[in-house]
Amino acid sequence: MHATIQKPIDEIVGYIRPGEKVFVVGCDNCAMKCNTGGWPETRAMAERLRARGIEVVGCTVPGPPGTSLCKLSNTRKVLMEDCAAEAAQADSFLVLACGQGVHTVIDATGGAMVHPGCDTVFGGETVSDTEVREFCSLCGECIVEHTGGLCPLTLCAKGLLNGPCGGAKKGMCEVNPDQPCGWATIYERLKQLGRLDLLEPYQKPKNHARWGRPRFLTVSEHENTFHFNADHVTVRNDD
Amino acid sequence: MKLTELFREGKFVITGEVGPVKGSISRDRSIEPNCVRDAAFLQKHVHAVNVTDNQSAVMRLGSLAAGVFLKAQGIEPVFQLTCRDRNRIALQSDILTAYSLGIDNMLLLTGDHIQLGDHKEAKPVFDLDSVQLIHMAAGLRAGHDISGHPIENPPDMALGAVVNPNVEPVELQLIQMKKKIDAGAEFFQTQAVYDAELLERFMEQASKLGRPVQVGVVVLKSPQMAEYMNAHVSGIQVPRDWIVEIGGADKADRRKKAAEMTGRFLRRVKPLVQGVHIMPMGWVDTVPDILCEAGLAKD
Repeated sequence: MHATIQKPIDEIVGYIRPGEKVFVVGCDNCAMKCNTGGWPETRAMAERLRARGIEVVGCTVPGPPGTSLCKLSNTRKVLMEDCAAEAAQADSFLVLACGQGVHTVIDATGGAMVHPGCDTVFGGETVSDTEVREFCSLCGECIVEHTGGLCPLTLCAKGLLNGPCGGAKKGMCEVNPDQPCGWATIYERLKQLGRLDLLEPYQKPKNHARWGRPRFLTVSEHENTFHFNADHVTVRNDD
Repeated sequence: MKLTELFREGKFVITGEVGPVKGSISRDRSIEPNCVRDAAFLQKHVHAVNVTDNQSAVMRLGSLAAGVFLKAQGIEPVFQLTCRDRNRIALQSDILTAYSLGIDNMLLLTGDHIQLGDHKEAKPVFDLDSVQLIHMAAGLRAGHDISGHPIENPPDMALGAVVNPNVEPVELQLIQMKKKIDAGAEFFQTQAVYDAELLERFMEQASKLGRPVQVGVVVLKSPQMAEYMNAHVSGIQVPRDWIVEIGGADKADRRKKAAEMTGRFLRRVKPLVQGVHIMPMGWVDTVPDILCEAGLAKD
């Protein structure tokens, strides 16, 4: 899931020009789980803006329940058909979702003005109703086979691939003393699994080309193609 | 002069350390930065002087520029190079530049995280880790860059690395030390150690890996410095008995006391290691007394 936090209300209000009519859009999946863009927060945002003198022409969280805002076909139907009358009055859309959701609203509306209502902070695991934690950095080249499924790029503050730096104290990270050293965590897990041998081989530097933005994926029944920089890889899923 | 040659000759290798100035070196030499003055003093007592690379992630004069400046004054520098601020292109380019400007020794490290320094909003690079940096430097020496392209006049420098005996789990430090050796590390300097028994346990394992190790010592100036390092300096732990002993000395006597304590520690641990790396933290005048107390001398 894409973890988000809402931007401070004063920052959001500062985006909106005098007389600008705003439509507020939330997301019923990730942002809903983060309490940043579900129905309660979306309705509340409409009221918070009105209380500050901004004209809000409508708000919605595209359903059915659990639907991601970033599913373009659904968002287009909701904004252009279900909410067409209100949306047509809007000068802009304030999006309470991740950055993908912001762009989905541009696509869904045929290029309307948008404002981000949230900062997208990371992709994470919903470990409980009150906590999302980051375990993957979306690097495009998964290396967790060597580390018992724990990503050193994400769990180590420096993203080191061949073991820890010398900065930890009493097992805690030099950057955040409340956070365990990611490499100590990896070591303990591999020790428990009886697989410390996995740590021995040299891990070559990451291929940052696979981080080459903007990236896209094309999907078909038998194969996926991942595009990065001017390059791509195609992998069959049925051989 | 490469430190590896001294190790090969069986010498107990003594190095010091200076941190470049926060600023530049005046062109007319009207202002002599501390790092130059300190290095000139240290030179009489040590084989080489490490020049730190934006230590603690605090922006300063570059370690390469300062190192070349020292070299020109007849002081042997150990050029420290970290992964924090440069990608693989810049790192390789700096290694080639260092060799071209006369540097013979490098110490290849990960680098303190940006959050510890004075530019907390900067992008941490860490394109490579320290093992990969060593592997890449060894590749350059063998005549090719990290992408496999041949290079002209490969840089022939001694490749140093660091290891920290203080960090738990020690087994993980040892696995990584072996990886650094396999990658091409020829000698090691440790993070500051204050616990002789801890070092003994560490060296029992590390000495099997067959590379010379210099034990690192940071001259402890005061109990306040110890408390500060314990709270804020990564990878160092000063034991209570050190804090009590330095605190027991009158302020006026602390230089003498610090030299005595450090020297006594080195006297005890010197049979375990092949050298010492003294980080005087500005108190360079303690170094002769430390070495005297430890029964050590250059050459």
